[in-house]
Amino acid sequence: MKIVVCIKQVPNTDTVKIDPKTNNLVRSNVEGIINSFDRNAIEAALELRQQAGGTITLLSMGPDSYITSLRDGLAMGADSAILLSSRKFGGADTLATAYVLSEAIKKIGDVDLILFGRQSVDADTGQVGPIVAEDLQLPQVTFAESLELQDNNQLTGHRLLDNVVQEVKVKLPAVITVRSEMNSPRYETPLNIQKSFEKEITIWSENELAVDPTQIGQAGSPTVVKRIFSPEKAGRQTQMLPNNAKDAVAQLLADLNN
Amino acid sequence: MNNEIWVFVQLNGQNVEPTSLQLITKARDIAGDRPVVALVAETESMNVEATVKEYGPDKMVILKDDQFHNASDGEIADALDQVVTDLKPNSLLFPATVLGRSVAPRLQAKLKTGLTADCLDIYFDGDDLVQVKPTYGDDIMCEIICPDVRPQMATIRPNTFKAVKAATDTETVNYSFTFHPEANIEVVSETPVINSAANISDAKTVIALGRGANNEKVIAKAEKLAGKLGGMVGVSRPLTDNEGFSHENQIGQSGNTIAPDLLINFGISGAVQYAVGIENAKQIVSINTDAKAPIFDKSDYAFVGDADEFMSALLDQVR
Amino acid sequence: MTNDKTAEQNMLHRMIVDFTTNELAPLDMKIDQLGDYPDGLFQKVIDNGLLGMTLPRQYGGAGFDYVATAQAINAMAFGNASMAVTLEGHFKTLEQLLKYGQPELLEKYLPTATKRIFAFSQTESSGGSNPKGISTRAVKQGDNWVITGDKIMITNGGLAQVYCVLAKTEDDQMAVFLVDQDMPGFSFGKREDFIGLRGTPVGEIVMDHIKVPGYHLLGSIGQGLEIGNNAHDDARVLMGAVLAGIMQHELKIAVDYAKQRKALDTPLYELQTIQEKITDIAIAKQNTELLYQHGAELKVAGEPYSKVAAMAKSYGSRSAVSSGDKALQVLAGYGYSREYPIEHLIRDARAMEIAEGTVEKMNTEISLKEVNK
Ligand SMILES: Cc1cc2nc3c(=O)[nH]c(=O)nc-3n(C[C@H](O)[C@H](O)[C@H](O)COP(=O)(O)OP(=O)(O)OC[C@H]3O[C@@H](n4cnc5c(N)ncnc54)[C@H](O)[C@@H]3O)c2cc1C
Ligand SMILES: Cc1cc2nc3c(=O)[nH]c(=O)nc-3n(C[C@H](O)[C@H](O)[C@H](O)COP(=O)(O)OP(=O)(O)OC[C@H]3O[C@@H](n4cnc5c(N)ncnc54)[C@H](O)[C@@H]3O)c2cc1C
Ligand SMILES: Cc1cc2nc3c(=O)[nH]c(=O)nc-3n(C[C@H](O)[C@H](O)[C@H](O)COP(=O)(O)OP(=O)(O)OC[C@H]3O[C@@H](n4cnc5c(N)ncnc54)[C@H](O)[C@@H]3O)c2cc1C
Repeated sequence: MKIVVCIKQVPNTDTVKIDPKTNNLVRSNVEGIINSFDRNAIEAALELRQQAGGTITLLSMGPDSYITSLRDGLAMGADSAILLSSRKFGGADTLATAYVLSEAIKKIGDVDLILFGRQSVDADTGQVGPIVAEDLQLPQVTFAESLELQDNNQLTGHRLLDNVVQEVKVKLPAVITVRSEMNSPRYETPLNIQKSFEKEITIWSENELAVDPTQIGQAGSPTVVKRIFSPEKAGRQTQMLPNNAKDAVAQLLADLNN
Repeated sequence: MNNEIWVFVQLNGQNVEPTSLQLITKARDIAGDRPVVALVAETESMNVEATVKEYGPDKMVILKDDQFHNASDGEIADALDQVVTDLKPNSLLFPATVLGRSVAPRLQAKLKTGLTADCLDIYFDGDDLVQVKPTYGDDIMCEIICPDVRPQMATIRPNTFKAVKAATDTETVNYSFTFHPEANIEVVSETPVINSAANISDAKTVIALGRGANNEKVIAKAEKLAGKLGGMVGVSRPLTDNEGFSHENQIGQSGNTIAPDLLINFGISGAVQYAVGIENAKQIVSINTDAKAPIFDKSDYAFVGDADEFMSALLDQVR
Repeated sequence: MTNDKTAEQNMLHRMIVDFTTNELAPLDMKIDQLGDYPDGLFQKVIDNGLLGMTLPRQYGGAGFDYVATAQAINAMAFGNASMAVTLEGHFKTLEQLLKYGQPELLEKYLPTATKRIFAFSQTESSGGSNPKGISTRAVKQGDNWVITGDKIMITNGGLAQVYCVLAKTEDDQMAVFLVDQDMPGFSFGKREDFIGLRGTPVGEIVMDHIKVPGYHLLGSIGQGLEIGNNAHDDARVLMGAVLAGIMQHELKIAVDYAKQRKALDTPLYELQTIQEKITDIAIAKQNTELLYQHGAELKVAGEPYSKVAAMAKSYGSRSAVSSGDKALQVLAGYGYSREYPIEHLIRDARAMEIAEGTVEKMNTEISLKEVNK
């Protein structure tokens, strides 16, 4: 089975600050790590490879610093890694990001399975996976909490929706986005960390891909970030419920249900 | 292109997913003279129009086909694409439920437009729908617009707005389209989720009992209530000395940190050691006889009164 | 961008932080209460290849240097000092094998060091600080040596399967030999009931005429004390890292609490007396970090590091104990409670005022080095 896992590098911090002057996110000095859900996606790929054989290629679009997280994924056990890096890819929203990823997946060729994390922990949209599925005209199983190989060309997945679990059968090739409930990602061992530095990371820019220049980077991104701000931390506003227990409960339930 | 705001109405089985109704109300609030349109995709036998109408959309566009039962994301996106491409709304809102967050981006890819995820607010600035969304957890907000392409699409977080009923003359349009089945995917079944939290740290609803609710009668009621709400019972430290409770149930510094959607505190004073364990709870309701109890400062809802009484009323009124 | 040392070191550090956060830190209190590692925990350490961190690649290890290793040990100690000391004991022993072991011995034993713990034992009831007082004997028999004696207070005693032991020859020369738990005549004695580092087993081995081949001798006859001292140096660098990790933990507890707790309406951290305590802990932690890192760097660079290693452990152990005391005072009654971890951090740190050379012995060494400059 030929598996591609798309991974995004995110800042390793819970508290990201805004530069009060530029209104941009302060990202310098914050170390980059693999988006946590993407580790679950890599783990899922490793388990499938163990059952069905095949190869795992990591794919990421971003600046050269994303090498760090690609290496980390190699240390977890992926076979190879491709970084899509170019100034022209910069400023991409989800539509443009997914377009470039899709073109790269076409170039890799004969891919059976494309795995994503359910969403990134920074921008948090969860849109890239489904857009890639649409661009490549593939079926998708998003927010999957389990994945089983039926035969070499079919998977059964369970999707955890808001209050139902949906069982889905899907023929390969397909796109899956992975929830953290699916597995516990393995650790890179010290030895595998060393070995990951012996593997080559391929870098592709727009020159290696058959991309339409109007669909990549900022040019290909319909959304514009107008403003970034830190909302004032509103403490909890305590609302007093009526003195009579019956009325209090009625009001509470009405409020909570709306 | 027109100036309509469309809201995708998501169904849960036979019912309308509440966020969709919240979005109709919100759309009406920000619409000005823009018509608000509810977009419904349902099976032939279903009829959610009556419910949707109560919230006052100017129009309902209805897609009916039996294959919407257990349809895949791709099939739903394909059906929506037909009507949206044809009728060209200005804006299109989805609930940021799992389904909304799965279908909307597929549709976005077909329409080659922008989509903002999980918004906490929306408003119009001229013709631009300004979409306010959190990033890096909820510590930072950004405002996103989609200036050049229509429709402007957004998914909006459930329970951010309140649904309010409104009387309007609602026009109903039955839109004809073709359902294109997707060959390589099959939704086999849907099973309601039973609360599966194995421990209190993961529970979605927590009923917490303190020294002011420490008697057998109240504890028994709490267990019952937790059952009804699909939650778990937790305790402050003093109650870990009781037969039925242990350290596993304890909330706080030397117990468990919890992060439920709903926490109800009965007879808990709110000592620091307890309070640090509940900071991540989304909604906190507290019941205490002492109006000055520190727990109230950390609560969204406060009831000054007896734990047993409030518990009984809850048991009666929760379905 | 290719073989960049710091990038590998960073990834190792992140891996250890993840492992510690998920697997060790949540069990920190439990390990102390249990007085042992819970079932399966040590196996996770093995399964994730942590025993092979320093071991050269040719023997199946990862070959990380001491700078990277000390940083990893430091990260682990922040979550659980016992396991960090277990690894420290193993790594310092492997260092002696690599430096003094004969090729035949290395080929035979080192490939197993990713799955088995190696320990170093000098102490006996008749000789702790003064190893010349030991009574373990090594008697030459043809090409072999026959070893008899009783070693106590061995870090990882019972958990380890291979032991480097200090012994005296018939003509009272000191030498170190490698013995294996599978050899006839080997048995385990009692596990110590120590007050701190309660996860780390510390125990006794009994050697009753264990016959080992000649190549099990490390270095040469008469080199025993040198090897023992070198083992101390290597241990002390890593213990400095453990101590800095413990202080980081003490600091975090004190700071978190000072932010939460109010004295009437004033948060504790606004009180000058509390600020002083936090400052003292922060400075001591930082100093210990600088000392252990410098010690590791000197070792990697091939420079003398014995003095700095002793400073890291002497200063670090005393500071971690007194910092723990200060952190306890910030939390006052709560700090004195066993429901908070501070009291066990103090007990943990306390071990390192004794193990690998008492503070008194180290201070003698340090001062003599200053005097004889
Ligand atoms: C504050 C902020 C808010 C934003 N909001 C929006 C928005 O509302 N709408 C929008 O269209 N864009 C938005 N963007 C732009 C968006 O962050 C980028 O397009 C980003 O490259 C992908 O989106 P995501 O992080 O949401 O990924 P998600 O869609 O959440 O990621 C899902 C999965 O896709 C894969 N993936 C994501 N990015 C990459 C990548 N670069 N390389 C390889 N795989 C990847 C991973 O497997 C990941 O787990 C925003 C950016 C910022 C900084
Ligand atoms: C080292 C240490 C660690 C600790 N860790 C924790 C911890 O992890 N978790 C924890 O919970 N505590 C912990 N504590 C204990 C903590 O300091 C408090 O003592 C404890 O939280 C108090 O529990 P309580 O609120 O249930 O009881 P109380 O403080 O006695 O409060 C009882 C409340 O019930 C109200 N009440 C009385 N009758 C009624 C009624 N009929 N109906 C409604 N309300 C009523 C009272 O007004 C009062 O506010 C720790 C203490 C120490 C020393
Ligand atoms: C947690 C732990 C782990 C240990 N692990 C190991 C191990 O892996 N391998 C191993 O061989 N041993 C180990 N030990 C033993 C340790 O090395 C000895 O306890 C230490 O060397 C002190 O010896 P002693 O206990 O016999 O005390 P003594 O040597 O009897 O010392 C008693 C007191 O006299 C002082 N003193 C004695 N001689 C001198 C001197 N010459 N100069 C100045 N002061 C002196 C000491 O500082 C001390 O205060 C461990 C001990 C502990 C607590």
